[in-house]
Amino acid sequence: MVPYKHYGLLAIVGLMWMAGCSSPYVENNKIEEIAPVVFWSIDKGTEGKLKISTLVPPLIQEKKRLLSKEVDLLKQGGQEFNLIYYRELKQGQLRMLLINEELAKKGGIEKLINTILVDPDISMRVYLLIVRGDFDEYIKNQLTKQENQDYFLYRMLKHYEEHNQGEMSIVNIHKFMKKVYSPFKDPILPVFHSDKNNFNYVGTALFQNDKEVMVIQDVDDNIFQLLDNDHFLKVLAIPKFSISLGRIRSNVRMKLSRDYSSLSLHVGLKGRIEEYQGESNIQSEELLQHLIHEIEVYLEEQTSDLLKRMQRLKVDPLEVGTHSLKAFSKEITDEQWMKHWENMKINVDYDIKVHPLINGAVDVFQNK
Amino acid sequence: MKSLSLYNRTSTLGGIYFLFLVNRMQMHYFILIMPVYLVHSYMVWAIVVMGLLSQLNLMMMSKWFTSSYAAKGYQGFLQLFGKRAVQIFAILGFLIILLKISIVTLGYVEMLHSFIFPSMDKKWLILMILLISLFVASHGMENTLRFVVIAFLCGAWIVVLFIPFFFQADASYRDLYPLIPTEWSGQSWQGLWFIWSAFSGPVYLAFMVPWLSSNKKISKYLVIGNMLSIMEYILLFVASVLFYGSHYLRKIDFPIGYMGSYIQTSGLERIDYILISFHMFNYVFDISILLLCFYGAGRIFMRKMKERSTRIGLLSSWFVILISIILMDQWLWQTVPGQKMLLNLQIWIGACIYLLIPTILFTAVKRKESM
Repeated sequence: MVPYKHYGLLAIVGLMWMAGCSSPYVENNKIEEIAPVVFWSIDKGTEGKLKISTLVPPLIQEKKRLLSKEVDLLKQGGQEFNLIYYRELKQGQLRMLLINEELAKKGGIEKLINTILVDPDISMRVYLLIVRGDFDEYIKNQLTKQENQDYFLYRMLKHYEEHNQGEMSIVNIHKFMKKVYSPFKDPILPVFHSDKNNFNYVGTALFQNDKEVMVIQDVDDNIFQLLDNDHFLKVLAIPKFSISLGRIRSNVRMKLSRDYSSLSLHVGLKGRIEEYQGESNIQSEELLQHLIHEIEVYLEEQTSDLLKRMQRLKVDPLEVGTHSLKAFSKEITDEQWMKHWENMKINVDYDIKVHPLINGAVDVFQNK
Repeated sequence: MKSLSLYNRTSTLGGIYFLFLVNRMQMHYFILIMPVYLVHSYMVWAIVVMGLLSQLNLMMMSKWFTSSYAAKGYQGFLQLFGKRAVQIFAILGFLIILLKISIVTLGYVEMLHSFIFPSMDKKWLILMILLISLFVASHGMENTLRFVVIAFLCGAWIVVLFIPFFFQADASYRDLYPLIPTEWSGQSWQGLWFIWSAFSGPVYLAFMVPWLSSNKKISKYLVIGNMLSIMEYILLFVASVLFYGSHYLRKIDFPIGYMGSYIQTSGLERIDYILISFHMFNYVFDISILLLCFYGAGRIFMRKMKERSTRIGLLSSWFVILISIILMDQWLWQTVPGQKMLLNLQIWIGACIYLLIPTILFTAVKRKESM
């Protein structure tokens, strides 16, 4: 048999050579000497430069500070921060990329995101956010008020991403890039508003050709979550009828006509009435049906209005175009689809089934 | 000079080993880049068709496994083809195996390099990985063949982790449309050859029959092993189409690797590191077996079959491989056209030998029997 001790010797010599003569490892990840970055915030700088900033150190018990730098290229940021800060910044724990809305409107964010995507240290699960206002101002102000605010923001996004809870559109790099490169799909990103004291969710930004073209918010954003993103909403408040529907699940059916000239959109909603502050007596079956019918009409109007705006801007974030794909025939191109989409007639039909507000308010067996 | 009993045999390995061997030899580097070559969802039928053809091929090979010539090893080949022809075959085999080892190693090292050690010099990775293979190979043919059990246990479960990709929120079944080929181009033909070549691993089993049992029941295990590979290929391919969509898929160099890095559990992130490391068992097994075949082929054409195998012999064939890999890396692999050329070469050669060897052996045995 083979004398194993020789292999042991060979391995030891090999290891000594590796450690001593020419180390193949050039990265030093000693935890006491590095600062893993949790987020990059990218803003428009002066003279076409990018202003990028991050909070260091992210999780160690040490006084935090905000680093920010104006650079031409994104990667330069990390490099220059190392020169002004005593820890080496490492990108392996990057969790969020915040992009200022003005930058997103100007276009060119795909290149920024691609830069993050090709870095082998960074996971594809980095969350992308559009920020309206000054995020640096907010995080600087929070430094004294709340520790680890950057980490909590990440936890918030992670919380709403899991189980598609229908509160926010949460998008990571992979989801964004998949939609960028696929035909019939237009990418979306969440928009947050930020000022000195607040950082709050606004709505969903729709992208076309690498530019933010539209932001949908409030009821429109709720409808968007129901139609595509999550198919679920915890609360749909409609102040116009003084009513809140809760725990709504949606069932969306789209039917394209053969020549792609019209689309019929059927949305079935199932939920509960969770609040009613109006005057109508909804304990009566008839009046309740009347109210629901009014809500249906209202949602139908809102939805067709939303879809019309999307058509005008030539965006298709609902991926209606994928319904033109068939199992046994050739697909149409993205351009052809856009031509059809612009001029498409859309019929929206809502069908709401609700569990009435009964607890304590009505005699359950009144009809018996 | 000390002699090394690399090719001794104490017992023959049973039928279940055929299952593991066939399956693991079909799952090396090519599975990692397979989606890039297939791209369109309808190419899933290519996997099915080529898999079934490979099934036929394996049935043909099982005829060879049970023939009396195969069990005799080298002597059997001499009886079938004569000394001259066997030597020519050995030289051809020597070159083909050298090419296969080099390309598979370069591919796997590239993956290690781009995922786990991006700033490391690639030569270190090549050296380390070949050292591990040398270590396994130096235990002899029989033990290396037994190593397939470890390779199977370490590699077969990985595919299960990709099942959740079928149920992700943004995985729409409409991404799989159209289901039938709507256009057929040169690239599609290449996809077919690619799959055929990816399934070609078990062809080397034809030269290992003396160590394996040659009873009549093995064809069942060959079929099951091949079936497992087909299923793994289909599962990974469909999962990758659902995950990327065919338009994004063609822009990714290691789709399966990136999907691995997307898997996340509450405790562990970046599972790709673990998966790639486990895949290394499979890879090391493949290379060790090929290394022994390589040395064997070398011995045949150097006319050393009468003498015992030596440590110097094994080490020098290992050095030939190491040098060939480093040179290929320097000259060809680092440029895109060079890399494409090498991969195409491997696709064609792998596909050709998978077509030729079983047919040649089959007809040779039939002819001898009828004489």
